[in-house]
Amino acid sequence: MEDHTSVSITWSLEDSHRRYHVTKLSEFAEDIVGLVGKMGGTVCDVLVVDSRVASAEVEKSSIKQAEHVADPGVAIRVFHNGSSGFVYCTSHEIGDLQKAAELAVSQARAGTADEDFKGLPEPTRHVVIEDIYDSRLAALEPETAVDMLIALVNEASDDERITSVNAGLTASVEEVALANSNGIVDCQKITYFDVFAEAVARSGDSMFSGLDYASSRRMDVNSPVIVGGSAKQHAIDGLSHAKMQTGDYPVVLDPLAAGYILASALGGGVNAENIQRKRSYLVDKLGTEIGSEILSVYDDPTLQWGLGSTSFDGEGVAARKKTVVERGELKTYLFDSYTAGKDSVENTGNSSRGGGTWSYTDPPGISFSNMVVERGDASLEEMIEECGRGVYLRITFDSPNLATGEFSGLMMEGYTIENGETGPSIRQSTMGINLLDMFSRIDIAGSKSRNAFGVETPALRISHARIGGSE
Amino acid sequence: MEDIAEAAIERSQSLGAEFTDLRIESVTGVNIVVMDGKTRTVTSRVEKGCGIRSFVGGGWGFAVCNGLKTSDILRTAEISVKLAKVSREKATLGFEIASAPSVQSKSEYPCKIAPSTISTEDKLSFVLNLDKSMEVHDARIVSRSSRYNDFEGERIVASSFGSQVRTKETWTLAACSAWGKSGDVVQRGHEAVGNIGGFELASSEAAVKCGETAAAMAVRLLDSKPVPAGKFTCVLDNKMTGLMAHEAFGHACEADAILSGSSVLEGLEGERVANEGVTLIDDPTVPDTFGYFPFDWEGVKSVKHVLIDKGVLSEFLHNIETSSRMNVPPNGAARSDSYSSPPIIRMSNTYIEPGDVKKDELIADLREGFLIKGAQYGYVEPAKGQFMFKCDEAYEIKNGDVGQRYRDAILTGVILDILKDVTGIADDFELVDPGYCGKSGQDARTTDGGPHIRVDNVVVGGLT
Repeated sequence: MEDHTSVSITWSLEDSHRRYHVTKLSEFAEDIVGLVGKMGGTVCDVLVVDSRVASAEVEKSSIKQAEHVADPGVAIRVFHNGSSGFVYCTSHEIGDLQKAAELAVSQARAGTADEDFKGLPEPTRHVVIEDIYDSRLAALEPETAVDMLIALVNEASDDERITSVNAGLTASVEEVALANSNGIVDCQKITYFDVFAEAVARSGDSMFSGLDYASSRRMDVNSPVIVGGSAKQHAIDGLSHAKMQTGDYPVVLDPLAAGYILASALGGGVNAENIQRKRSYLVDKLGTEIGSEILSVYDDPTLQWGLGSTSFDGEGVAARKKTVVERGELKTYLFDSYTAGKDSVENTGNSSRGGGTWSYTDPPGISFSNMVVERGDASLEEMIEECGRGVYLRITFDSPNLATGEFSGLMMEGYTIENGETGPSIRQSTMGINLLDMFSRIDIAGSKSRNAFGVETPALRISHARIGGSE
Repeated sequence: MEDIAEAAIERSQSLGAEFTDLRIESVTGVNIVVMDGKTRTVTSRVEKGCGIRSFVGGGWGFAVCNGLKTSDILRTAEISVKLAKVSREKATLGFEIASAPSVQSKSEYPCKIAPSTISTEDKLSFVLNLDKSMEVHDARIVSRSSRYNDFEGERIVASSFGSQVRTKETWTLAACSAWGKSGDVVQRGHEAVGNIGGFELASSEAAVKCGETAAAMAVRLLDSKPVPAGKFTCVLDNKMTGLMAHEAFGHACEADAILSGSSVLEGLEGERVANEGVTLIDDPTVPDTFGYFPFDWEGVKSVKHVLIDKGVLSEFLHNIETSSRMNVPPNGAARSDSYSSPPIIRMSNTYIEPGDVKKDELIADLREGFLIKGAQYGYVEPAKGQFMFKCDEAYEIKNGDVGQRYRDAILTGVILDILKDVTGIADDFELVDPGYCGKSGQDARTTDGGPHIRVDNVVVGGLT
């Protein structure tokens, strides 16, 4: 077996000194499957990752740090009577891999038998998803990245009330190869680009911060300035503040809030493992109405430049789009090989190794690739106007209780709506709602989508939710 | 490894770095997950690598390689200097790193039974017993997860101050979740036990009872109701007091937040920020805790931090950079979650010191409010001055009596107000809640705690 160790010698993610191409990486993965097999791990899969991550940071409006992380690694998963052993190592060295393979086999043998495991995926069709690799990211020089951040800072600072801008930019290039003992072998190159900004505004005794970010598999040279401008605007918008009285109000969820809530509410809710173990509020809801006719949701790994777009899932199953919620009706749960085998249903190909970037450090789990929420035709202004008096929730970082289907969270950034227009930011207030009520009360979907925490979603209006206020 | 560290630092200095530090690590660890009586995964990690940070006039460069080949580590040192120069070239804010005395140390976390000496079968047996203890607790328990983690690592922190700090770090953690079902109602209970040290954790009383504690909570919550929303006086238990200390105040005391202009505590040193009974501590030196460390990840000896002293803001948490820029001694709060991440300022064991009243007295004279128990999670944005934390259970208090049980209450507040609204501090101190704190994509081992305290004007978020 060839020694595949290599280290990038410049910040640039493209390295002409690399000793293999991505197709070679898949041969390497196959070789390791063979190695594991010789040690008795006849049911196994192997993920080989070679990633290079470059990033830069701004603190208080000044460039602070540039980083380069070279991270080759291998994950080996072995099944014995349905029990799985998983070992990862930060190395492509043959000696390390032999030890890892041996350990994975012994760990699988130590576990309890599990008759629900019916086998790893078999090779079927081969799919190649375009637009998951942007060669410009591989060639990105640190000076260019830093200049993009400086443009962000200039835009975000362009108001005398802004006292500080903190920001970061990350670019990663990964080559991943996956092989299993059934003969699946596949590989792909993926890229990831992320930029975020926090602008802090002060006026008198009032202080507020505006946040925004953008991430994609493609580098958007305009996004730093757009993100900087948005962070600035929200920092300023939040300076004036108000308290709310506890009560029921119509709520417009910005895509950022909608995405954060849906990522766990639906992402965790339709995870077949949570369903099979009776840990989800969506148990026994297949084929039933769980939301209003406005709500349609897809899992789409083929989405152009989507953050979670991929040619194959974390177990090598070819990518395909599927409808999860159609006009309010729950159409499918999301399965990997284990859960599909347990229920004797088709594997939906939702085994995940991490989404935007693939990781070799954790066993695969079940996840949406890209959760896509169908757009409507209303502008954000129209949605706010429809509310009369209500709340515009831009940011929350709370997750629901999946067992009960109840959500209660802090409105980290929210604004009053009075007479159909947004007003001051709301301090120290909460939103509480049962998720099935929330889905059924979605009465308007916005016409523009954005990626928010892995969810491609428009703004959504909920006819009413419980707001806990401090007045 | 010390020789490689020295060579890498020499290389970076010869290329123009004004300051360099690095972390070389070799780590193994096991994670076992059992669900509903069967092993879900048995995972092992084998990690080796080096992260090097170089500084030039206000700019940092940080570079990482996996493996411990000398040639790779030297090239990584070169990359870190190149990146530091790029940062410096474009930085508008210049500063220096104050020199500090060289530190030489070799230490080991206390550990009675090294996890690597225990077979996978024996570790699995411990986790299966946890699972069984939940299963037999009550017929209404319908699903179970149990987890065991261990970590054994050798780390060298070296710097151009001449410091070389070698640490052998061992820690273990066990966690259980149980789901109870009654009719259509499903509820989850959970418990975690973690400490520095080895497999001796598995025979501790708290670890043995971990499953039973989680199962009892799941069953208890089956008759709970969603909490009403509104503004209330709340009595917080030991875990929630700790979570509040961590979220409501600890993060805003991290000096990187102060220097980045994103903490509402900027400029308030020496000012009253809490009721005079409140003393808030972050202390990595507390032995036998999950947040313990003797030296930080920049090689600085750890010390106790008094963040609030009798109501007055008295100290921030520093790394070498922030202490240099704010002209105070470094106080050892820099941590990395592995060699592949740069050290950043973190909390450790965060708590409020006990008062002198009895817990029951806090409740007895309360006409209307909630008793809040058990911590799920919390978060804060120090620049917005707002935080939240979520409990496991809330109990209605009416005229001094504890009554109806509620679930999933979230509590929110404003950093500059909440500790001024503390109206009672009990004498029943416990540092009890091990967990992980996330910041900038890095996890740090922490413990939270304190006594029961009473706080006015807390906004409770609920569904009704």
